[in-house]
Amino acid sequence: MGAPTEAAADVQRSDPGSRLALALRRLSIGRVAGALIGLAGVALYLALTDDLFLSWGNIMNLFRAQSVVFIIAIGMTFVILTGGLDLSVASTTGFAGMILGFAIQAGSGPVVAIALCALAGVLLGLLNGFLIGYVRISFFVVTLGTLSIYASVILTTTGGSTISLFNYPEFAGIQRLANGDIGPFPIILVVILALYLLAWFVLHRTAFGRAVYAIGSNAEAARLNGLNVPLTLMLVYGVAGLMCGLGGVQQDGRLTAAVPIVDPNQMLVVIAAVLIGGMSLRGGEGGLLGTFIGVLFLGVIQNGLTLKGVSAFWQGTVTGLVLIIAAGLAVLRETDALPRLRRWLSGRRKAEAAETTE
Amino acid sequence: MAPEPVIRMRGITKRFPGVTALDGVDFDLLPGEIHALVGENGSGKSTLCKCLYGFVQSDEGVIEINGALVSIDSPHRARELGIAAITQELTLAPTLSVAENILMGRLPRGRFGIDWGAARRQAREALDEIGARIDEQALVNSLSVELQQEVEIARAVYAQSPVLILDEATSSLSESATKRLMDKLEQLRSSGVAVVFVSHRLREVFQCCSRVTVLRDGERVVTMDLDGVTESQLVTAMVGRTMEDLYGKRRIAKGDTLLSVRGLSTPDGKVQNAGFDLRAGEILGIAGLVGSGKVELGMAVYGAVPSSGDVTLEGRRLKHRNPRKGMAAGIGYVPDDRKRDALLPTRSVRTNLSLPWLPFRKFSRLGFLDVRSEKVMARESCGDFGVRTPSTEFPMVLLSGGNQQKVVLARWFALTPKVVIFAEPTRGIDVGAKSEIYGFIQDLAERGAGIIMISSEMPELLGVADRILVMYQGQLCGEFDPETAGEEEIAHAACIGEMKNMGVVA
Repeated sequence: MGAPTEAAADVQRSDPGSRLALALRRLSIGRVAGALIGLAGVALYLALTDDLFLSWGNIMNLFRAQSVVFIIAIGMTFVILTGGLDLSVASTTGFAGMILGFAIQAGSGPVVAIALCALAGVLLGLLNGFLIGYVRISFFVVTLGTLSIYASVILTTTGGSTISLFNYPEFAGIQRLANGDIGPFPIILVVILALYLLAWFVLHRTAFGRAVYAIGSNAEAARLNGLNVPLTLMLVYGVAGLMCGLGGVQQDGRLTAAVPIVDPNQMLVVIAAVLIGGMSLRGGEGGLLGTFIGVLFLGVIQNGLTLKGVSAFWQGTVTGLVLIIAAGLAVLRETDALPRLRRWLSGRRKAEAAETTE
Repeated sequence: MAPEPVIRMRGITKRFPGVTALDGVDFDLLPGEIHALVGENGSGKSTLCKCLYGFVQSDEGVIEINGALVSIDSPHRARELGIAAITQELTLAPTLSVAENILMGRLPRGRFGIDWGAARRQAREALDEIGARIDEQALVNSLSVELQQEVEIARAVYAQSPVLILDEATSSLSESATKRLMDKLEQLRSSGVAVVFVSHRLREVFQCCSRVTVLRDGERVVTMDLDGVTESQLVTAMVGRTMEDLYGKRRIAKGDTLLSVRGLSTPDGKVQNAGFDLRAGEILGIAGLVGSGKVELGMAVYGAVPSSGDVTLEGRRLKHRNPRKGMAAGIGYVPDDRKRDALLPTRSVRTNLSLPWLPFRKFSRLGFLDVRSEKVMARESCGDFGVRTPSTEFPMVLLSGGNQQKVVLARWFALTPKVVIFAEPTRGIDVGAKSEIYGFIQDLAERGAGIIMISSEMPELLGVADRILVMYQGQLCGEFDPETAGEEEIAHAACIGEMKNMGVVA
């Protein structure tokens, strides 16, 4: 049969142009292009109009301010890749942070406290994942429920009062982790980059990561091809919980306290950042590069508003607008609306020309 | 003097990333004709149809309807222009009733909102038009793919459009439903409706069409009257070379009994007390009407749906059955609905190929992937199976149907399974690719695997299978030897379910 060899040649032959296209596709540049252009535009504007913006201190502060969102967004990326959503992230983060507070109060060292905090996050995440993967309740219902439950447990166990950690010597290490520097870089920035690299490795170089993408792309195909869908889902929410646990450490470190009030805005910002990064709520496409750029984009906007002295009350409006514009761009990209518009215009011109000749 | 064409397409060109799907194609559709559009996978026939019903827009070229230049920029616009389409991709709303789907956008109004009585009556009328026996109040997602397709047909026919496009509309229909559709088309044609008919089943083309346009690699090869054209002439025009025997049936030595199934039943009653044996190297065909349970039988053996009864592979009874256990035991499964159950549309050809390899740690150790060797394996698979793709990193969704199906088959070959279950292995696939797929299936059998081939296409069962079982209302009701049995005889058994030659069942 001639066809297979011919096709083999097809597969192997790749001119430099298409190779570049493929490389770009692999980096999912097309997907993150919107966020990247937006980020570049806003950053350029700020750089030209504000001397402070490009200063090293300001940029490092920007990363610090976004550090918790950076960490939680990793877990949210896993979840959204499977076609789900974790609405409970802010509550889980607060819960884990509270565990850290109790541990420090009880006199445990920073390593034990961090481990307990992370463990708390993992367990809460696995509980979400168990209900979603094995009991098969909708992710929306489960995480909406636990959002409320976890938040309320924090309030009842703390009696609603903040656990101040500033004066505990055991807390010094955690505070340094959250706010300290290694040379010119914030320690937490190094930690965040390491977490993103690790998460990228898990998503793209492990069977688990492959299963995450497969389930998001077509869960039934994944099941019929022998993947353990319930287990994978449970673990995915476990990863989200782990990131919330680590985010809880950073949150307490920055606030030097475990605060019992859960900020619902945090969850919205995390989801917005992931979506701005070009991921689809249907799952199965996109990745961490987009998420990183999405979080950074929101960070730059927030920073810009502060530098320009705009009231912090406007932040929600701007974040919302950026989210909707990003989603709008994705729709344009997916439905080839732009070429369609062009064709429609040219078709109309042709029709007019035809009319006039008649 | 030929009548003025209803639709005149000139110089239609459409490019997708990496492919030119259509290259300056001209196409005329006359009133009162059924015009076949044929060609291999990726020849551009579906794209041409999509340009007509507004699903894609051509990059170049013009479309005229009754002599007036039009721009069909959406399916909605196409409907306004009187073009109705029935496609392979179902476009029904799954959670609404059959009646709501048929009358979507034109539900009858009464004094208090929608007049549901009238809606049901009209939907009933539409279904009766095409002779479909479907409850108009049933929810669409409770229907099988075949019945959903009939709803889609009823809706398009009921719209009474002057132009009707059938893009692979018959690929999921049973023979009797196809026959009913053909009769209806003939009736519509004689009343002046113009029909574009796309099908891989050439027999249907010869049955109902008067003219044919052949596309190859995005270009028009020829448009001609079908009178006096032979099937092999048409195939030659499509593939650009002469085809030998389509099935290429080989003599394959049979080994010992590999798989035996006894008393297999599913809780929903779709499969009842099924039993059969399968030998190494044997290709066992399973025939049956739509809804006879033949697809569910395959799923139950694989473990994709819960079932009771015994499945014994090489003398070992399989316990706690699910797809993972089925695979581990050495059973492979190619589902009947590629898009719904087999493809990862957003992922690359490579990750689609390697999907079932993951549980077997083919290219991983301790859960860590060796992407380099995965790429080598994927490239080899693409080469061996003649998958036409610019690269193994190409998104799956951009491949043509036949190439997607080859990827789905190629997955299993790399795992050297003992038993492979193929459900509708060539649904919606062109002749050239079909012939290749029959070859691959027989390659597997030659390597000593047992094959279960579930199909609604009687000719392929007769052409490839060693033995054919017929299923009727959830039960196996007959066994036939394709050497001696005729198509009529088997179809008869499938329709009335009389017991025949059933020696195997315990």
